[in-house]
Amino acid sequence: MTVDSTMWYLGRIVVASPAFVLLALGLPMLCNVRLSEKLQSQITKFGVTLGLLAATTILVLMLVTGKRHVPVELGHWVTIEEEHFHFHLKFVFDRLSVPFTILTFILCGTVGAFANVYLHRDAGYQRFFLLYALFLLGMVISSLAGTIETLFFGWELVGLSSALLVAYFHERPGPVRNGHRVWTIYRIADAAFLIAALTMHHLTGAGDFDRMIGKDSWPMGVSAIEPWQALAVGSLLLLAAAGKSGMVPFSGWLPRAMEGPTPSSAVFYGALSVHLGTFLLLRVSPLLAASLTLRILVIVLGLISAVFGSMTSRVQSDVKNALAFASLTQVGIITVEIGLGWYYIALIHMIGHACLRTLQLLRAPSILKDRQMLEDAVGARLDKKKPENAPPPTPFQLWLYQFAMHRGNLDSMLDGWVVRPFLWMFRLFDSFERRWTNFLSGGESRESDRLSPYSDSLEDVI
Amino acid sequence: MSKLELEEESSTDGNHEHSVRRLVENAARFLPTQGPIEVFVLLNNLQAFEDQPFHQALKAARECYQAEPYLSEQEYRRLYAKGRITDEDLEAVVMADLGQRGLKVINGLGMIAELRFAMLRHPIHVGPDAELRWVVAETDALERFRDQTTRINRTRIITSTRKWLNGSGNRDDIPELASLFEKFGHDSSRWSDVGWEAFSLQLLWRICLKGVACSHKPAEANSFVRPRDLMLHATGDDINRNVHDVLIRFCAAYVDQGYSDWTLPNRDAGFYESFLALYETKTAGLNSWLSGLACDVRRLKQEHISAEQCIEHTLTEFGIAPANREAFITQSLLSLAGWAGMVWQLELGVDWVVHNVPKESLIGMLAVQLLLERHAIRHIGREAFGESDSIPQILALARQKVSQPEPMKRERRAFLLFQVAQMLGWTPLELLQLTDDEWQEISDELESFPSLERRRIFHEAFERKYVHATLDAFATHTARRRNVASPWLNRPDFQIVTCIDDREESFRRHLEEVLPTCETFGAAGFFAVAMNYRGAADAFYKPLCPAVIKPVHYVQEDVGYTFEGEHQSRAQIRRQIGLFSHAFHKRSRTFLGGILTGVLGTLASVPLVARVLFPHLTARIRQRFGSLLQPPPVTNLQLERYEGDPGPTNGHIGYSVDEMAGVVVRLLRDMGVTKSEHFSRLFVICGHGSSSLNNPHESSYCCGACAGKRGGPNARAFAQMANDWRVRTKVAAQGVDIPDDTFFVGSYHNTCDDSVVFYDLDRLPASHREDLEVARKAIEEARRRNAHERCRRFGTVPLSISAKDALRHVEARAEDISQPRPEYDHATNSLCIVGRRQWSRGLFLDRRAFLTSYDPEADNDEHSVLLGILSAAVPVCSGINLSFYFSTVDNVHYGSGSKLPHNVASLVGVMEGTSSDLRTGVYQQVCEIHEPMRLTFVIETTPEVMLSIMERNAVINRLIRGAWVHLAVIDPATSEIQMFKNGEFQVYQPSGAKLNEVESSLECYEGSRDHLPFFSIHETEVA
Repeated sequence: MTVDSTMWYLGRIVVASPAFVLLALGLPMLCNVRLSEKLQSQITKFGVTLGLLAATTILVLMLVTGKRHVPVELGHWVTIEEEHFHFHLKFVFDRLSVPFTILTFILCGTVGAFANVYLHRDAGYQRFFLLYALFLLGMVISSLAGTIETLFFGWELVGLSSALLVAYFHERPGPVRNGHRVWTIYRIADAAFLIAALTMHHLTGAGDFDRMIGKDSWPMGVSAIEPWQALAVGSLLLLAAAGKSGMVPFSGWLPRAMEGPTPSSAVFYGALSVHLGTFLLLRVSPLLAASLTLRILVIVLGLISAVFGSMTSRVQSDVKNALAFASLTQVGIITVEIGLGWYYIALIHMIGHACLRTLQLLRAPSILKDRQMLEDAVGARLDKKKPENAPPPTPFQLWLYQFAMHRGNLDSMLDGWVVRPFLWMFRLFDSFERRWTNFLSGGESRESDRLSPYSDSLEDVI
Repeated sequence: MSKLELEEESSTDGNHEHSVRRLVENAARFLPTQGPIEVFVLLNNLQAFEDQPFHQALKAARECYQAEPYLSEQEYRRLYAKGRITDEDLEAVVMADLGQRGLKVINGLGMIAELRFAMLRHPIHVGPDAELRWVVAETDALERFRDQTTRINRTRIITSTRKWLNGSGNRDDIPELASLFEKFGHDSSRWSDVGWEAFSLQLLWRICLKGVACSHKPAEANSFVRPRDLMLHATGDDINRNVHDVLIRFCAAYVDQGYSDWTLPNRDAGFYESFLALYETKTAGLNSWLSGLACDVRRLKQEHISAEQCIEHTLTEFGIAPANREAFITQSLLSLAGWAGMVWQLELGVDWVVHNVPKESLIGMLAVQLLLERHAIRHIGREAFGESDSIPQILALARQKVSQPEPMKRERRAFLLFQVAQMLGWTPLELLQLTDDEWQEISDELESFPSLERRRIFHEAFERKYVHATLDAFATHTARRRNVASPWLNRPDFQIVTCIDDREESFRRHLEEVLPTCETFGAAGFFAVAMNYRGAADAFYKPLCPAVIKPVHYVQEDVGYTFEGEHQSRAQIRRQIGLFSHAFHKRSRTFLGGILTGVLGTLASVPLVARVLFPHLTARIRQRFGSLLQPPPVTNLQLERYEGDPGPTNGHIGYSVDEMAGVVVRLLRDMGVTKSEHFSRLFVICGHGSSSLNNPHESSYCCGACAGKRGGPNARAFAQMANDWRVRTKVAAQGVDIPDDTFFVGSYHNTCDDSVVFYDLDRLPASHREDLEVARKAIEEARRRNAHERCRRFGTVPLSISAKDALRHVEARAEDISQPRPEYDHATNSLCIVGRRQWSRGLFLDRRAFLTSYDPEADNDEHSVLLGILSAAVPVCSGINLSFYFSTVDNVHYGSGSKLPHNVASLVGVMEGTSSDLRTGVYQQVCEIHEPMRLTFVIETTPEVMLSIMERNAVINRLIRGAWVHLAVIDPATSEIQMFKNGEFQVYQPSGAKLNEVESSLECYEGSRDHLPFFSIHETEVA
C-alpha cells in the first residue's frame, strides 16, 4: 500500500469516525431504543479515539514524507448542470486543518470523558451525547473542508448543535430563550457565509478553495481573484466569522451560551465554537493577502473585540461570564494576528488558548477552593482593600463601568437596529393580512386574539 | 393629583417610612437563610413558618413560595405500588384524619372514609380544562370502564342500567337520553356487551353532569399581588425578565467578595445610592426600556428622595392598597429570593467574609427593583397599549384586557364524580334518587379531598409505614440484645467516638463487626471544643464549632521547633507559587497577559487530559509534589493559654487548664463515660469532614457541628486535653475518673474517600503501641467495608465490586473533577437515635440514622445532660432532615436545581448559567436518592422526662409539638415504646413483624441499590 492510498484511507476514517458516533447514537434514539450510558460512552470513546489516531497518523506521515497538502475527494453529491451547481464533498489535510482536527479530537474526547461522569443519571444524558456527536462531526468537517460548501455543511452542524446545547435545560425559559438568541445570530452569520459562497461560485465557477486561494498548500496560497472581489467575498466571510466567534457587535451571545452544562460550555463556547470564525479567516487567508482594505478591516474588528472583551471581563463577578469575555479578548487578538499576516502564530495561539480555556472552564467551580488555597499560601486576603480616602469615582469611570456592565449595550443595539425593523415589518404585514381576513370573514377572524396567554391556571386543578 | 402632593404626604408622614422598613424586615424572614456558600449550613427552609404545625406550615409556604409541599401524587402511587405504602397505612391515616366523621354514611352511598380511601387507591385525574375537554371528547373515558374498576362494580353498574332501562324508570329524567338512543339504536336487546358498557357509562356521565349542575359556585376573581402578574396575564410579557437582568448583574457586583477586577463604584454608600450614582449617566444604546431611567434617577437625587420614600412612591403609583402592602413587598422580594436573601445575610453581618454590605441594603434593593419595574411596565405599556406615561392607566388597560378564566367547574365536578362512581360501583339508579341537596353534599365531599389533601394523607401513610417498621425493629432488637452478653470481659479493646452524623452509622457498625471487642460512641463532632482554629498552612482563623456558637478560644497549629526553618522556606515557596498562580489566572483574562498565557496554553492540555482521564494517578502525583510544599509532618497544637483572656495573639491563644477540664468533662459526661471501669486503654476521638474537587458545595459535606469545616483539629485538641495529667486531676475532682492507663488519640475520618488519619502518634507511649495496632487494623478493615457499602448507591459501580476496589473507587471519586456527586451527603437520613449503643448495636440502619450516645443512668435528676444533647441535636438534625425534605419535594423552589450548569457568582453562591437567581439549598444530584420524610427521634428516656425537657426548651417543644419531627421514647429494659402523638405519649403496640437476623452487614445490602429494611446482625462471637 502506498503512502498516498494509506493517507486516503486514513482521511476517510477521520471523517467517518465522528459520523459513525452520530449514527450509532442517533439511530437508536430515532427508533426509541434507549442505550445504556455505558454503551453510549463506549461508542463515543471508540469513535473519538479512532479519529484521533487516524488524524495523528496522517500528521506523522505528512511530517515524514514532507507532503503538505493531501486532498480526499468524496465526489459530487448534487449536480445541477444547467445552474452550474454541484455540491462537492472534498476534504483537505494540510498544516492548518490537521492541527485543528487533532485539537478537536483531543478536546472533545476529554470533555466527553468528563461529561460521561458529570452527566451520569441526568435525564438528558442521551440527548447531550447525540448533540455532542453532531458537534464533533461538524467541527471535523469544517476543519477539514476543502470546498466552501463542505465548510458550510460542517459550520451548520456546529451551529445547530451549539444552539441546542445552550438550550439543554429546556424546562427553564432562560436557556431556551438564550439558545434561540444564539441560533438567530448564527443564522445571520450563516446568511453572510452563504452569500459569500454563492459569490465565490459566481466568481470562480466552483466552491473549491483551490480556485480561490491558489493551488499551493496553506498558508502559501495566492489568491487568483481581483482585490475588489476579495474584499467583497472577504467582508462577507468576516461578518460570518464575527457572528460565529462572538466578536463585536455579536458578542452578546457569548455569555448567554453559558447556560448549558459546564462541559458543553467549556468545549464549545470556551474553546472550539468561538475559534471557528478565526479558523475560517485562516482558511481563506490568501484572500486577506489580496486586499489591504480587507486586512485593515480584520485588524480593526479584532482590536475592537479584544479591547471590548478585556474591559467587559473586568466587571463580571461570576466565573463563567468572566471567562466568556476573556475568551473574546483572545479571539480578538487572534483575529488581529491574522490581519497582520502572522498565520502560524495565530494558529498556535488559537490552539493554546482553546486548551487553557477548556481547563479553566471545567475547573470553574473550584474557584472558591483555589482562592482559599491561594490566600493560605499568600497569607493574606487577595484583594487589596480600597484606601480610606480614595477619590470618588469620576463620571468617566462611572460611564465606563456602566458600559462594561451592560456589555457595551451591544444586544440592545442589535435589538433596536436589526430586530425592531424586522418585527415592525412583520407586524405591518400581519396587520394587512388581518384586515384582509377580517374582511373576508366579515368579522373578527382570529380566535387566538381573544385568548389570554395564561387562561388556564394549573392552580385550579384538583 | 399632582406628584408633589404625594411626595409631601409621604415625607411628612413619618409612620409610612417606618412601616415600609418594618414590612421589608418582616418580608426578609421569608428569604433563604443561606449565607455565603463557603459555610454551607443545612437549615429548615421553612424556619419562618416553624411556629405553625407541619402540614399547616406547608400549606402556608405553598401560598407564599408557590412551592410543592409533598411529592407528586404519581410518585406516592409509585411507592404504593411498590408496597412502601400499604392499604393498612392509608386506612389508618384516613381514619385518624377524619375521626368520627369518617364513619358517617353519605346518602346511602358509603362512608366518607370509604370514599376517600377509594380516591386514594385509584388514580383520580381531573386535569386542566383543555385536558378535560380532550378526555371527554377524544378518549374512550365515556365508553369503557376505567382499568381499575373491579369486575363486580362493572357488572353492578351494567346490570342496574339494564334493569332501569327495562323497568319502568322515568326516562324523562335524562334529557339527552334520546340522543343516546339515537347513537346506540333503540332496540336495546340487540346491543352487544360493549354497547351496554358504553351505554351505561354514557348514562352515568349524563346523570353526574345533570346532578352537579345544581351546585354551582361562582369562580373566584383572579387577584394579582404584583403588577407584574397582571401584566404577564394581560400581555404575556414578563417584566421580571428585563428587571432581573439588570438587577442580577448589579446584585452580583454589589455583594462581590473580590472576584471581579473592577469593584462597583460607590458600593460602600449602599445599594440604592450606588445604583443611583451609576445610572445617573446614560451610555449610548442602553436598552430601550431603560431610556427614561437616567432622567428619573437625576430627579430622585435632586429631590433627595430616600430608598424608603422611593418605595412609598412606587406603592402609590402601583395602586397597592394598604392591606396588600405586606403581600406585595414580600412577593416582590421573593421574585429574586436568592440574591435578596444574600444581601440580607450580608447586611446582618457575617463574621468571616471579606466584604459585608452596609445596613439598609435590602431596602435599597427593593427600591431599585421597584424603580426598574416602573420602567419595565411603562415599556410594555408602550408596546402593548401605546401608553407609557401613567402606570395606573397602563394597569387599568391591562386589567381590562385580562380575561377572567371561566373554569369548567361543572364538568370537572361531574368528571370527578363519574370516576368515583365507577370505583365504588354507584349505579345510575342510585344516583338518580339523590335530591339536589344530596348531590351537593356528595360533590362537596369529593371536592374537599383534592390532590393536595390526598398527597398529605399519602405522605402521612408513607411515614407511618416507615416509623412503624422502625419501632417494630427496635422493639424486637432491644429484646434480642438483652440476651446478648457483652463481647468484652473487663474492658473493651478500644473505644472510639465519632460524630453523630448519619454517614458514621455504617462506619461504626462495620467497626463493631470487624472487632466486636471495641465500643463506639456518637457525639456532636466538635467534641465540646468550640474554637477558632488556624492550621500551620492557613492564613486565617476559622471557627470550628456549630454555627450558633461564637467561639472565644483560639487554637493554632505550630510547626515543631526542629522544622521551623524548613517551614519558613516552604511557606515562602508556597507564597511565591500562590502569587504567581493568582497572577496567572487573573492575567489570563486580560489583554496582554492573555496573549502570553494563550500562546503557552497548549501546556494546559497536559493537566486537562490527565485530570479528567486519570484522576487517581494525577492526584497521587500532585500529592507527591505537594507534600514537598506542605508544612512539615511534625506539628503541635498551641493549646494552652498563659495570659488571662483568650484571643488570637501570642499568649492569649488556647485554653486554661480549668477550661480544658470543662471541655473533657462535658464530652465524657454527655456520652455517659464517667467511671474508671468504663474506659479502655485506648480512646480514639474521630472527627470527620469531606474533601472533593470542583465542588462549590464542599462545605455542606463536611461536619455540620464544625460550621461546615473538617473536624480533625477538634478531635486532636480534645485528645491532647484529655491526655494532660493536670486536666485529668481536675476532671477527677468533678467526678469523671479516667484511669491512668487510658490514652486518647485524635483522628480524622474523611467521609468521601473513607480515609482515616491519626494525630500526634509520636506521643503515643510505647505501652500503647499494640493497642493502637489493633485499633488501626480494625479501622482499616472497617473503612474498606464502609466504602463497599457506600458503593452500592453509586450507579456506575458494579454491585459485584470487591471491598478493595470499592475503596479505590471512592478514593478516585474524591479526586475526580468531573464528579458531581462525590458522596451522597446526608441523603436518606430519617432517624435519630439517642441512648446507649448497647441496645441499638447490631441493628442495620442503612446509613439513615444520626446516632447520639447518652446514658440515662449517668444523668442527674434534672436530666440536664439530655437537655443539653437534645437542645443541639433536635434543631440541628431536624434542620438537616428538613432541608433535604424540601429540596427533594420541590428542588426548583427549595433546592438549588441541577448542579450541571452551576456557576459560582461573586464568590458567595451559585447561579444556574450566567444570569439567574442565586440558588440555595441542596442540589438535585444529592437529593436523588433521598426519601423525603420527617426525622424520627428514638430516645432512651421516659415520657415524663421528655415532657419536662420540652417544657424547658422552646425550640424542642415547637418542633415536636408542631410535628416537624416524630418522637418516640424507649425503655430498652422492657422494650416498651411510647410515641408522641397529638400532644401526648401513647404506648406503641409492636406489630410483631419479623426482623430478619443475619450474620453481617454485607448480607443486608449485598446486591441492592435500593432502600433497605431493618436487619438484626448477630454479635460476632469473640474467639
